[in-house]
Amino acid sequence: MLNVLMLGVGQCGNRILDAINKEAFGGGGTSKLTKYYLRPKFPSRVETLAVNTAINDLKELRFTTAKDRLHVPNLHGVGANRNVGKQAFMDNRDTIMGEIEKRGDFDLAFVITSTSGGTGSSFSPLLINELKRQYRNITVITVAVLPFREEGSIYLQNAAFSMRELMDVEADGIILADNQYMKRFSGDIASAYDKINGMIAQRLLFLIESLDSEMLSVTDLGDFKTVMNGGLRIGTLGFYQADRKNPSVRDAIENSIKPGNLLYPANVTDDAARAMIIVQGSREYLDTDEITKEVEKLSACAGHVFKGIVVKKGHPKVLSVFALASAPELESIYAQAARAMQDEKEKRTRARKQLDDAFAHIEDLEEIY
Amino acid sequence: MRRMIYLAVILFLIITTAYAEESDQDETTFNDFTLNIGDRIDIGDYRAELIEIQSLKDGLAVMRISRVGGALDEQRALLQNSANDFDGGADGDGITLTVTDILDDQSAKVRVEYKENLGTARKRTSERPVSSDVPLLSVQKSFDKNQINVGDEVKVTVTVKNTGTGQATNIGAEDLPPLPEFTYVAGYPPKIKESLNPGESDSAVYVMNAVKEGSIRVPAIQVSYTDSKKNLKSNNSEPFNVLINPKSKADLILILKPSGPIRVDGTGLLNISLSNQGSASATRVEVEGEIKPPEGLEATGLDRSYFEIPPGMEENYSAQLSGKGAGNYTVTLEASFQGGDGAVIREGTTEVVVLEREYKYLYLLLVIPIIIIVVWMYRRYREYKY
Repeated sequence: MLNVLMLGVGQCGNRILDAINKEAFGGGGTSKLTKYYLRPKFPSRVETLAVNTAINDLKELRFTTAKDRLHVPNLHGVGANRNVGKQAFMDNRDTIMGEIEKRGDFDLAFVITSTSGGTGSSFSPLLINELKRQYRNITVITVAVLPFREEGSIYLQNAAFSMRELMDVEADGIILADNQYMKRFSGDIASAYDKINGMIAQRLLFLIESLDSEMLSVTDLGDFKTVMNGGLRIGTLGFYQADRKNPSVRDAIENSIKPGNLLYPANVTDDAARAMIIVQGSREYLDTDEITKEVEKLSACAGHVFKGIVVKKGHPKVLSVFALASAPELESIYAQAARAMQDEKEKRTRARKQLDDAFAHIEDLEEIY
Repeated sequence: MRRMIYLAVILFLIITTAYAEESDQDETTFNDFTLNIGDRIDIGDYRAELIEIQSLKDGLAVMRISRVGGALDEQRALLQNSANDFDGGADGDGITLTVTDILDDQSAKVRVEYKENLGTARKRTSERPVSSDVPLLSVQKSFDKNQINVGDEVKVTVTVKNTGTGQATNIGAEDLPPLPEFTYVAGYPPKIKESLNPGESDSAVYVMNAVKEGSIRVPAIQVSYTDSKKNLKSNNSEPFNVLINPKSKADLILILKPSGPIRVDGTGLLNISLSNQGSASATRVEVEGEIKPPEGLEATGLDRSYFEIPPGMEENYSAQLSGKGAGNYTVTLEASFQGGDGAVIREGTTEVVVLEREYKYLYLLLVIPIIIIVVWMYRRYREYKY
């Protein structure tokens, strides 16, 4: 059994972690009261911990137990300032690591964070380093969420610098999720957040379950690690669930790698470096030949593709994990961030000059009373 | 003049004194004497002699009054406390005799009233021997029962005894029956010997049946007889009152007291009391019980028999009850007995409740899960409360 640690850092990380806990109670239709009469069902031994400097963000969680919420005292958040965030982490490192240590030893850790916020983007690189230092054989995967582009220049700037730091640390891979990309799933921001968080939660738990299940065709943590080490060590997740109208496993695999079902905008055939296809469903739907054909088709463009088949009652569900060889959208973000930072710098210079010009009017004057 | 006044006063005093002396001689006086038969009172020329006590009961005494010279010689029966004038009585020139008390059949107290000018009354005791052949019958009438109930037979005993010194003859008893409270059964009228020697007694018994309740006065029986002088005498028994109670009956009261409500499959007792509150014994008492509705309540030992339950006595016993089905049951006991007026039936009834099987802590089946759920949810709330 895999020992999995899921850390939700910052407001975005907390909410995704809460969605994971909600998913463990049964998923989307789960009532808020479910937690009063059910226990969360994780596929493996999963420990969750929500870390935040803003206590109000922790208070709004609904499916995460109080003992799984760690408040790092730093007034009320770090105000999207990554430098303040880093200092807060260093000041409270022992507390944070102590809380993690209490939860035992782990094989796999997911650090779920937004790249744009204050706490998550500043804590996560440092936290990953600490995890790697403290747990020798742990596989650390960062689940990084890219911001809406119109959220503001500071968030874009944070995303740019945070992503660079995340790439520099010793994490075993980054799974990207792009809010901007997934915003199309819902009309308003609030429901988009809930939808995105739910999608991420569902895919992560599916992944954990698949890595820890007896399979018809085996994929394990090592395979997953190999996939994530391919290309840029940046990857994403695709998912599709067939229904009664079309229970074809081949169509399910094809649909799972379509851009519309990915967390991050990518063209699998062009950008994938390595991949893992995990198929779950009732035996009557799992045509091995069809699955093999689809995997071979994918291997032709994505290099190596790991295949996992889990027999479980229901229509076919397919999770596709990709490591990307290129990430053009990232470059776009960096370009936008650079522009935003340049604009910010120019605005600040102009404002300073205007202020200096204003002060010049009274430069030779004395106060008269 | 002064001499004339003195003379007139002296003359007045002499006249008034002479008149006073004359008035004193006309004053009426009396004396009381106790006379035995033969004794006499002498007042001037008058002699009054007690001849006999004719009737002690009726207060009649016979006296003979005579006057020296034969102008008066009369024998008269004097009624007690009734004044009898002779020669005009004391208010005239004669005397008045009154028998004030008859002490016994040989003596009486006599008052004589007379004018003082007749002299002083003196008693002369008779030198004749007292007559020794005077019969005197005493009569008694008695019932053999003090408590009489309607339907009871009563023996009436009439006893006549000659307590005198002479033979009583021509004895006749006259008994007035106290009808209509009694009917005669046998022996009436009572028959007494026609003559009784001194000290001899005779009795007669007759039987009556009390037929009507109430308080009645039993009349006296009168016995008439004659003595050796052929004087007719009589005597009565004393009348007395008797109370005839209603007919004696047994009256059984049945009291049924269940020990309390019985639960289904539980047992209880029914305490039964038969008390005879009548005045006669209840005999051949048969007690039989009945339960309505017959299903759901079982009883053992309801039926009993008693040979006799005397008046004022009580018999108690208990019957075992066992509940089989919930409900209200009526237990009726019927006691039949002979109670002095034929067969009598008395009933006693009580209600016995058989309760549903009680699940005493059934509510806990609801309360405990609710508590567990509330505690569980509170723990969960605390678990998730941040």
